[in-house]
Amino acid sequence: MARAAKSALVLCMDVGFSMSNSEPGQEPSFEQAKKVIQKFVQRQVFAENKDEVGLVLFGTDGTKNGLAKDGQYENITVHRHLMMPDFELLEEIESELQPGGQQADWLDALVVCMDLLQKETMGKKFERLNIVLLTDLNVQTSADQLDVIIDSLKKAGITLQFFLPFPVDGEDRADGGGDGPGPSAAPARPGKGLSRQQTQGLEMVKNIMTSLEEEDSLEEVYTFSDALQKLSIFKRIDRRPMAWPCQLTIGSSLTIRIVGYKAVTEEKVKKSWAIVEAQSHQRDDVKRETVYCLDDDNETEVQKDDTIQGFRYGSDIVPFSKVDEDQMKYKSDGKCFSVLGFTKQELIRRHQFMGSQVVKVFAPRDDEHAAVALSALIRALDSLKMAAIVRYAYDRRSNPQVGAAFPCIKEKYECLLYVQLPFMEDLRQFTFPVLENNKKFTPSASQLSAVDALIDSMMLVEKDEDGESVDVFKVNHFPNPQFQRLFQCLHHRGVNPDDPLPPVEPWLKRDLERPQAVSARCQTALQDVKTKFPLKVVVKKKEQKTSADVFGSSADEPDAKKVKVDEETEFNLAEIAKGNITSRIDAFAYALLTAPAHNVLHQSGNAELFNSYMQSLKRSVPDRNLQEFWDLLIQDALTLISKDEVDGSTFSKQDANQFLAFEQKEEVQAAPVQEDTGDVDDLLDMM
Amino acid sequence: MAEWREYYQNEDDEVEEDEEDSGGAYKISGRDSLVFLVDASKEMFIKGEDGGPSNFDMTMQCVRSVYTSKIISSDKDLVALVFYGTEKSKNPRNSFKHVYVYHDLDSPGAKHVQDIDKLQGEKGAQLAEKTMGSGETSLGEALWCCSNLYSDIKLRLSHKRLMIFTCRDDPHGGDSAKDRQARTKAADLKETGVVIDLMHLTKPEGFDVSLFFCDIVSPPEDESELGLQTEPCRKLEDLQKRVRAKELKKRAQSRLTFSLGEGVNLAVGVYVLARTATKPPAVRLYRDTNEPVRTKTRYFHAHNGGILLPNDMKRSQVYGKKQIVMEKDEVDEIKKFDDPGLVLMGFKPMERLKLHHHIRPALFIYPEEEQILGSSCMFTTLLLKCSEKNLFALCRYIPRRNTPPRFVALVPQREELDQSQTQATPPGFRVIFLPFADDIRTVDAHVGPTASDEQVDKMKEIVHKLRFKYRSDAFENPMLQQHYRNLEALALDMLAPEPIEDLTMPKVQMMDDRLGPLVQEFKDLVYPPDYNPEGKPAAKRKPAESGGGGAEKKPKVEMSEEELKNHVEKGTLGKLTVPVLKDACRQFGIRTTGTKKQELIDALTMQFSK
Repeated sequence: MARAAKSALVLCMDVGFSMSNSEPGQEPSFEQAKKVIQKFVQRQVFAENKDEVGLVLFGTDGTKNGLAKDGQYENITVHRHLMMPDFELLEEIESELQPGGQQADWLDALVVCMDLLQKETMGKKFERLNIVLLTDLNVQTSADQLDVIIDSLKKAGITLQFFLPFPVDGEDRADGGGDGPGPSAAPARPGKGLSRQQTQGLEMVKNIMTSLEEEDSLEEVYTFSDALQKLSIFKRIDRRPMAWPCQLTIGSSLTIRIVGYKAVTEEKVKKSWAIVEAQSHQRDDVKRETVYCLDDDNETEVQKDDTIQGFRYGSDIVPFSKVDEDQMKYKSDGKCFSVLGFTKQELIRRHQFMGSQVVKVFAPRDDEHAAVALSALIRALDSLKMAAIVRYAYDRRSNPQVGAAFPCIKEKYECLLYVQLPFMEDLRQFTFPVLENNKKFTPSASQLSAVDALIDSMMLVEKDEDGESVDVFKVNHFPNPQFQRLFQCLHHRGVNPDDPLPPVEPWLKRDLERPQAVSARCQTALQDVKTKFPLKVVVKKKEQKTSADVFGSSADEPDAKKVKVDEETEFNLAEIAKGNITSRIDAFAYALLTAPAHNVLHQSGNAELFNSYMQSLKRSVPDRNLQEFWDLLIQDALTLISKDEVDGSTFSKQDANQFLAFEQKEEVQAAPVQEDTGDVDDLLDMM
Repeated sequence: MAEWREYYQNEDDEVEEDEEDSGGAYKISGRDSLVFLVDASKEMFIKGEDGGPSNFDMTMQCVRSVYTSKIISSDKDLVALVFYGTEKSKNPRNSFKHVYVYHDLDSPGAKHVQDIDKLQGEKGAQLAEKTMGSGETSLGEALWCCSNLYSDIKLRLSHKRLMIFTCRDDPHGGDSAKDRQARTKAADLKETGVVIDLMHLTKPEGFDVSLFFCDIVSPPEDESELGLQTEPCRKLEDLQKRVRAKELKKRAQSRLTFSLGEGVNLAVGVYVLARTATKPPAVRLYRDTNEPVRTKTRYFHAHNGGILLPNDMKRSQVYGKKQIVMEKDEVDEIKKFDDPGLVLMGFKPMERLKLHHHIRPALFIYPEEEQILGSSCMFTTLLLKCSEKNLFALCRYIPRRNTPPRFVALVPQREELDQSQTQATPPGFRVIFLPFADDIRTVDAHVGPTASDEQVDKMKEIVHKLRFKYRSDAFENPMLQQHYRNLEALALDMLAPEPIEDLTMPKVQMMDDRLGPLVQEFKDLVYPPDYNPEGKPAAKRKPAESGGGGAEKKPKVEMSEEELKNHVEKGTLGKLTVPVLKDACRQFGIRTTGTKKQELIDALTMQFSK
């Protein structure tokens, strides 16, 4: 949940000629900055938030802005006024954003942006105003207006972010607030190879940033490569989580006012795919119809109105109307955060965390008494290493949870962290065989030391020059590749409707691999492990579970009914059509064995395919020992798909009905089992 | 299964994580079955020490809890209840003497539970005496009868288990012919894949497993497994725990390759040891007969009425005014990054695993020796070393095809046994899902005053009074319990459902009693006398002045016209809270059209921008 408050943001990009320069082997700053903007706008478009974005370019050949007068503010172009980013903007960036041949003062550009923000947010409500400057600072600037600019930035509550080709202060911000780039991310050291203007500009950037914010000001200065890798940098304009005001209670008379916020939760893709007709691309052309039918031979259809709701209770099916259900169901008495008791933190195991979120609990902003009371609880719990077990209900309609509230004390603030814990019904007590003390699996001393060495060579936390440990693989700073990839494909398809989908971007792939340095470092240890631990693939079950497993090719297979299809194997028709033979057999065997799947085939128009397969299967029953399998089909009355069922079929209902029965007669006179060396695969080749 | 269903029903939903036990699995791999073979001899009915429940009572409670949990969690499983050593006989062909089949192998329903309730307690003992009685014992006959129960089932059975509940270690009293017959029949059963467990109960002289039962029960699945427990169960809790540990067949959600690096691959099974149990979906029934109906979903063309096949449909999303169209395959392909599996990235110290980095319930992995020989040894070594060095392994995890990756922390967990030598935590790695940057919200911390040592110490006393030992299985889900009680009541034509005990409710009375005057003392330390935390927040409150706890309630801070004008000019009225805006309107006598924030702002803007 998020408040509807929106942000306004102006992207201000330097397109001046120096941006096109680059060191050999490096991408020009212009290209890098353009990518950052592209990625960012892409995210904004597809995340569909209400934030408004403007685009100002400076160093352009032309001039187009509200302040240009008397030769001032020249070569600055307001490319796009403040509005919600859309596909058009994406396309414009792609095709129209070109390097310019001029240079312009980035401070002037900043003023244009401020003007734009102030004029265009007038009368509208924005939670945040932000300007993002992308420049190489390689231009003469007049610093005389600096103080005035800083002043008006402050007054208007505008925040700034800088994106530069080089880090602002390499050493200092290695891992300051946790957002610093990894050691490898910085392409150039500051001070080295910087022009006089750049050095000067850098000083001004520092000056502005430190005067704008009290601390960590330089955290908002990034390098282009940072930005590309970690778009999470744009957090600043993310939507705020919704406040959940409630009362923490201990017993009947101790109440502390609190406010909860979702702090961590699995972000899902928000938009779903609609089904459209393949030619017209119209949603309305597709009608979806659900019919109810009895589970009898004729699949007699019944009206929805003639059905009632029921539930299974073990072997019983209990009619239970929606009305009755609502009346009898468990009712919670509204939102609550009630302490049930306190327990040692060590009794709550990390793996017992349930649900999909962590809630941060504070005292309300305006209530300092509540803050003191909550602080007392947080500090008491922290010093006792305990946590509160609470009953949590979000509101009257939601089901109560039992969860733990852990104390969390940070330098700047303190809060409770609430996590849901399991109910008895959620747990499964499986017992697993012993691993340690099992003679078969006990590692030798040399094996132990090999793994020891491997672990040491693969540590993702390294010591930097100051002896501080640095995490080189912070996954919580990576953007979810699923979104990146989806946005990339949507973008691509939107711009090039007829092209196939693009490959996954290299940087995204790289994020999913072991860091190169670690990879290189562990080679020796890995080789050692490889030789010390014999690992032998027994049988690739999934791959070999084809003819033999499904059709019981060996005569002594005790029970051909034990057809096992791995639960995890996914089937889909497209895969069947184009996929490898193995999955086809699996899928068909599976389809044959399950009536619902049979129904799917009925609908899916693969009737032809299915029928021809069935016929070939039938032909091969005698010489392939498939009788038991065939019996199963008879038992489940799985037969050819007839015309009555699917238009495309060439078989009548009668054909279909006789198909299995006839087989039974035929089977009696079937030839004795022939020597067969062929694979079942070949009988499927026709499909 | 999931894919088919998903395709036709939840067109746009993401694949659910927990589909592995959604009934579909049963259709493919057969059903689990469990036979309770219970001794009904006189000895079983002897009251426990201090008038505690008899062994028979304990057994019945245990069976009941298995029945109800099967109804809730795996209603397709088959369960049977058979008594031996009875006077009367009742079995399908009535060919076995002194064997009473109380419930044939079937999925348990409300009636079954009710039947068992009838056998509990004093009255239950009387009923048992009347209907079955206690008589001669022949375990061989009983086992034979049970093997017929299994073979009479037409369904595919995937897992067959038989549990013997008895307190007699020498059931045939030295009759070697009967002993021999029992051993033969037990061997026959085991031959057909039935696993036989002994749930032996306490008796005065102690239960000697080696006398007879050691030859009856199945050898442990694994030579190193604890297998036959020599100590009999004294307490119901132990018995339930022991039964529960055996009763569920563990199923891997998937089997995956765990790659440590180029060429070093082991096989692991992924298990779900905790997942949110939800109310099962409703089924539609035909009004006239109460039989379940099936649904068929079809797509057809709105204009010509023709059936639409998958190829006739595409997927589309609209952004702005731009429609983007893809094939269903492409939509799937977008989610594909790599083949399913776990890939090791490296290691980190445990303290790098943050408490608040939680997005999903954890999974559990255990080596699969059957797929890659040597997996167990490699896995064990890794487990030992990670545990010793207090590290977790960071991996990339792709659970199935066309599923995007997640990073997970593999946290080592060594085996722990409880007092009764039952496994409390299994050996293996816990799989903790880690958040991506997108999953972490920006929360602006509320910074307020902090508590003094005196205030903290008072709270410590309160915490101390209310401490307890948390157990993860201590709380039942009241919503689910109520749902099943309702169904039970309807199924059994009861007038009203049995009341549930809502364990999630705070025991307020008890807490108040324990805390005594502490609450007031704490409140005196932190709250001024006029402060009411239960009331709606009024205007801003200032903290208690130093020394005098009773700071007077300050009058509302009124906003000057100047300030308001300033806000209007700058368009920053939105930064003020609704109560402040309301007050301002009241103060200047401005009439508003409503009390929504925007309405208040509009009214104020109108007034002051004139």
